[in-house]
This record gives sequence, C-alpha cells and structure tokens, in this order.
Amino acid sequence: MTCAEVRQVLPEILDGGPEGVFPVDFESHVKSCLACSDLISDLKLISSEARQLAASEEPAPRVWVRIAAELRAEGLIREPAVFDPAREAESTSPRRRWSAWWLVPVAAALLVAGSYVVSHKQAPQMAKRQAPATPLTTPTPVTSAATSASVSAPAPSATPTSAPSAAPQRLARKSAKRTEVVASAEKPAVEPEPSAEDQQFLSIVSTRVPSMRATYESQLKAVNAHIREVQAYLKLNPGDAEARQHLMDAYQQKALLYQIALDRIQ
Amino acid sequence: MPAAGAAFFMARLQRTSLQKTRVHLAGINAASIPLASIQDTMVVTLVLATCLSAVAFAESKKEYRYTVGAHANISVDTQYGAISVLPGSSDEVVVTATLKSGNVEVDEQQNGNRIEIASHLLGGLDQEAGQVDYELLIPPDATLNLRSSTGPLSVERLQGDLTLEGADAVVNVRNVGNGHVHVRTMRGPITLTDVRNGHVEIASISGDVHMTWVDGPLVQVNLGSGRIFYDGDFGSGGYYRFTTHTGDIEALAPANVSAGFRAHSVLGRVQHDFPLQPRHSRYTVEAGRSFVGTAGGAASEVMLRSFSGRIRLKQR
Repeated sequence: MTCAEVRQVLPEILDGGPEGVFPVDFESHVKSCLACSDLISDLKLISSEARQLAASEEPAPRVWVRIAAELRAEGLIREPAVFDPAREAESTSPRRRWSAWWLVPVAAALLVAGSYVVSHKQAPQMAKRQAPATPLTTPTPVTSAATSASVSAPAPSATPTSAPSAAPQRLARKSAKRTEVVASAEKPAVEPEPSAEDQQFLSIVSTRVPSMRATYESQLKAVNAHIREVQAYLKLNPGDAEARQHLMDAYQQKALLYQIALDRIQ
Repeated sequence: MPAAGAAFFMARLQRTSLQKTRVHLAGINAASIPLASIQDTMVVTLVLATCLSAVAFAESKKEYRYTVGAHANISVDTQYGAISVLPGSSDEVVVTATLKSGNVEVDEQQNGNRIEIASHLLGGLDQEAGQVDYELLIPPDATLNLRSSTGPLSVERLQGDLTLEGADAVVNVRNVGNGHVHVRTMRGPITLTDVRNGHVEIASISGDVHMTWVDGPLVQVNLGSGRIFYDGDFGSGGYYRFTTHTGDIEALAPANVSAGFRAHSVLGRVQHDFPLQPRHSRYTVEAGRSFVGTAGGAASEVMLRSFSGRIRLKQR
C-alpha cells in the first residue's frame, strides 16, 4: 500500500473500523511510513478532543426550558397549534358560536333603525304635502258630501270660509282618519329594486344613448313611485274608482316613457 | 362701488397694455425680424385658416323644395335640433336644414303628397355635432309630424293635424286650429296659445303645460309631476279633461263660462270661486277634495283630476 492509498481509505478506517484494528497491509505501511503514522496520530487526537468538547459544552435540558419560558413570557414565541379534540369541542360549543352570532341581532337592529330613519324622513314631507288637503280650517264652498247630487254655494273668493253646520266636524274626523290611513299606506320602507323589465330598459338605454341614462332612470323612478303611491292607497281604499283611474294614468305615463325612449333609440 | 372700481382698474390695465404694445412695435425694425419668427407667423396663420375653413365646412345649409297638393303629409325627424314651421305657399313645401357638422346628413324623400325628412347621423355624434335645425314653410292645411329629442319645436298658423314629440323638447304651438294637436314630451314644457277648435291631446311625464285660449271638441292633458295652467273659456262645447299625478292644476275662466265642472284630488286640495249650480253626479263629493256643478248652460264639460296635486278653478 502506498501513502496515497492510505490517505484515500483513511477516513473510512477511522470512522468505521474498530479502533486499533486495521488491515494488515495498512498497518504495515503506517509502521514503515513516518508521515502516514503522524497523520493518523493527529487525526485520532482531533477526533478524541472533538468528542470531549461536545460533551462538556452541551447545556443541560433545564437551560432550554428556562430560555423557552422567558421567551414565552415576553410573548416572543407561541405554543404551536396542536390539534386537541377536547379544545376543538370547546371551540364549537354554543359559547364560542355566540361570539359570531351577536352580529345578527346587531345587523337586524341596524336595519330596523335604518327603516325607521327612512320612513320618518319621508313622513314629514308627506305630512307637509297632505296638510293643506285636510279641510279642517278652510273648507271649500261646495259641500254636499252626503248625497250624489251636489250643490255648489257661491263664494266670493278662492278661499272661502263658510260651510254647513254639522258637516265640518264630521268631515274633519273623516279627513283626519283618511289622512292617517293614507300616510300609513304611503310610507314605503325602502325603495324597491327596479323590475327586470325596467333593468332591461335601462340597460338598452345605456347601450344606445348612454348620455340619457340618468335622465330616463330618474323619470322611471318618478313614474314607478307614482304607481306605488296609488297602489298603496288602493290597498286601503280598494273601492276608490278615482284612484283606480289614477293608477291607469300612472301606467300610461310609464308606457309613454318607454315609448319615448324607444323612439329615441331606434 | 366694487364694480366701478373693477371697471376702472380694467380700463387702466388696457391703456397700459396698449401703450406697451405701441412702444414695442415702434422699436421693431423690419430688418431685425428673424426668419424663425416669419415661419412661426406663417404656421399660425395656416392653422387659423384651417380652423376657420373647418368651421365653415362644418356648418352648412341645405334647401329642399317639393310641390304638393292639398292636405300634404309632412314628417320631420331629427335626433338633435330645432324644428320651426310656418305657413307658406299652398302647393309647396320648403325645407331649410342647417347642419352643424359634416358628419350628419339629411335623408329626404317625397312619395306623392307625403314628404319625409330625417337627420342621419354618421356615427355616434354628440348633441353639438349631430344637430340639424330645420325651418319649414308648408301649406297651412298640411298634416305635420315633428320629432326632436332636444327641440325646440315650434309651429304657428297652421290648420292641419299636428303631432309633436320630443323627450326634452320645448314645444310651442301658436295660432292653430281646426285640427288635431297631439303633443308628447318626457320633461319638455309645452305651451299652446290660441288653439281653436282643436282636438288636443297632450301627455308629458314631468313637463308643464301652459294653455292660453285653447278650445275644441276635446282638450285632454295627462301629466305626471308637471303642472297644468289653463287660461281660456272652455268653449266650443268641448270635453276638457286635465289630469296630473302630483302636479297642480290651475284654470282661469270668465265669469260667464258655460260648462259643467267636476274636480277631484285624491290627496290634494280643491278650490273654486264660481257660483256653481248643483247637478246630479255619480261621483261622491267630498268637501275640500272635490266639487261638482254647472255654470251657465254647461255647454262644455270640464274634468279636473289629480292624485295629490292642488286644483284651483278661478274666475278671470
């Protein structure tokens, strides 16, 4: 065996071979070669010293425990998420679910509050518009409400002040009740979404005449509002033939809007 | 005082600028004008000339003449622009079209006694570029159909049937009679003046209607949120039917009007100052919201209806 062959197999012999047991030709070469003998001696020394060094500097397990405790106390490290069936069952318990479900009543309360605000925002406008309609203070001269044959009393001005004796109170009560009923009927909570036909209509308008989309949309909203207004009134006054005619008129207005738009986009 | 001070300041500023300009021009020697300045001046001049010629080419006028017989049928349809119609010769139609750009043209055709004029936009033009204004002179007895989204539409002194339509068009009809007058707008206001013996039908969603001396066998107005104003005599033994949803109705009539009246507002207030005579009615009358009665011989029938608008009938 040559020196080169000894260096080549030396790591294997040092790592795997039983200490002090070497192949015969290997031992014969090391005994006869001073360089290889010194090299093996140095490697054995380094290896033994390294083993002793590792054993003496290895900290005790309690050191790691203390360090981990301090880091945990300072919040720098967290416990790894470990699946725990008991903990999992606790997390799906009703108490845990409540933390998410509390949003439901809050959302409902917000909706109710929103509806309240919307309805009360519209109520003054409605009341303002209806206020002069009640003949409590200024009844008109033509006042034969009891029979179908009505008589018009001459009046000198456009704001007459006289009326038959018992009629005002009766009419006042009737009108007040009617106003109340109408006000409740006309109180839309939330403006409904446009119907499929209306959406299609607006879509076509947007495509053909985009500059007019806002105009047609506002007009359509107005017409739909008129229709809803009469419908709400008719729910409470189904026998009112006049209101039914107004409903027909409102639908005619909507038809007119569609027709004008159709003429425009053709 | 601030306005006077501003005017004084502006006048002084102009004088100062003028003096500076004169001094500057006086100091200029023709020989010292560099070549680059001449080139710049030429470029600017060319650009200005091009712009001016473009404007000149953009707006153009075209005239069309048609010979027609009695009761011709004339139709004008434009997306954007005004249409004005006046009476002309009894056997000729003269159409003058003013085109605001070169990207719009006039399609016209005559089939016998029927004439059709229409603006043809050659692309997605806006209102300014696609505008075509029309002026027509037509036989007074012609039947007329006008349509313009923007308007205005104006018709005067005709005796034939009229149909006018426009979304936002302002409509003016004056001094016409003996024919149908049909007007439809979305939000354009409508004014009828001196319409005699007409068969009038008006519909608008949010436009107002103003009628002065309008009468005929049928005068019908149906509005949404617009208001109706009528000043006339409800004559001709006609049927007058005014309806609004939220708009107010106001009618003025002479004290000696001859008409039967019925007014009703479902939620609004109703007033009148006529000494109406009682009459039978199938409608229930509720004080403050409706009235029924007659005045004079009740030659005409007047129905004023609103859902929530106010109705007032007043003596002139």
